Amino acid sequence: MVFPFKIFPFVMYPFIVGSLITGCVSYRVINAVEGRAVPYIFEEFRIGRTTLQEALQTLGAPDQVAELEGKDVLIYQQSILANSGLSFGIPLADIWGPSFNFSAYGELVRYDLVLLSFTPDGLLSEIASEKGSRYPYLKTMLSEMQQ
Amino acid sequence: MKRLREPLYVLLLVFFLQSCAGWAKNMEYHPFDAAKLDKLTVGKSTAAQVTEMLGPPSNIVKLSNGNAYIYRRSLSKGTGLWLLIVSFGNYDKHYDQIVIFFDKKNIMTHYGITLDAHKAAYGLPF
Repeated sequence: MVFPFKIFPFVMYPFIVGSLITGCVSYRVINAVEGRAVPYIFEEFRIGRTTLQEALQTLGAPDQVAELEGKDVLIYQQSILANSGLSFGIPLADIWGPSFNFSAYGELVRYDLVLLSFTPDGLLSEIASEKGSRYPYLKTMLSEMQQ
Repeated sequence: MKRLREPLYVLLLVFFLQSCAGWAKNMEYHPFDAAKLDKLTVGKSTAAQVTEMLGPPSNIVKLSNGNAYIYRRSLSKGTGLWLLIVSFGNYDKHYDQIVIFFDKKNIMTHYGITLDAHKAAYGLPF
């Protein structure tokens, strides 16, 4: 009969402490990456000289293909999602009624993009790129959106 | 030191009892065989021959001077780890893609290939 009393605290303490701690503070970090890293090696490309075949050989299959105003557009992209949240609460609902809960959540999706536009003859006519991943998560989240 | 032992045990027990981990794998599967591209010839192979070899494309896009057939499949892997008050999640998705360009006569003119699906990996977000 002694054994159950000795083990009792080791069963109850974790339960009580765990319930209190997990009910009070939590922090989460989530990262999601879709697609391969965009190859920024198009600097060798020359408008009016680089062909569609050369671009495909260098960069591989594009993520999107479209026709835009008589030109063929190839888009290479990678999306990077970062999500984090911090929550602090005092679980008093069972004792007192209302509970205190303070939380802050943020989610930022950044894109690395390269757009290549080709004439119907297959010659490069335009290059546009954006490297969203160079923007740090917290600094970007706390900054005002640029107009 | 003895005073600290019991709370330490309690904290360790809490840590293990309240922790868990999970893994997930999702596949968007299309059974095309990229190795069959070697049997196709730029400037000769037709759209019909391409679909015979690779099957129907995932998408067809009309272009200025013909069409593009897009073959795509993906593999994604997710990891979750919950440690008492801190939780981590990671999701990684990669694609196998073949884009084949045809002229207005449905003759294959160019193609691009990226086989990256196998690079999807389990991991932590840092």
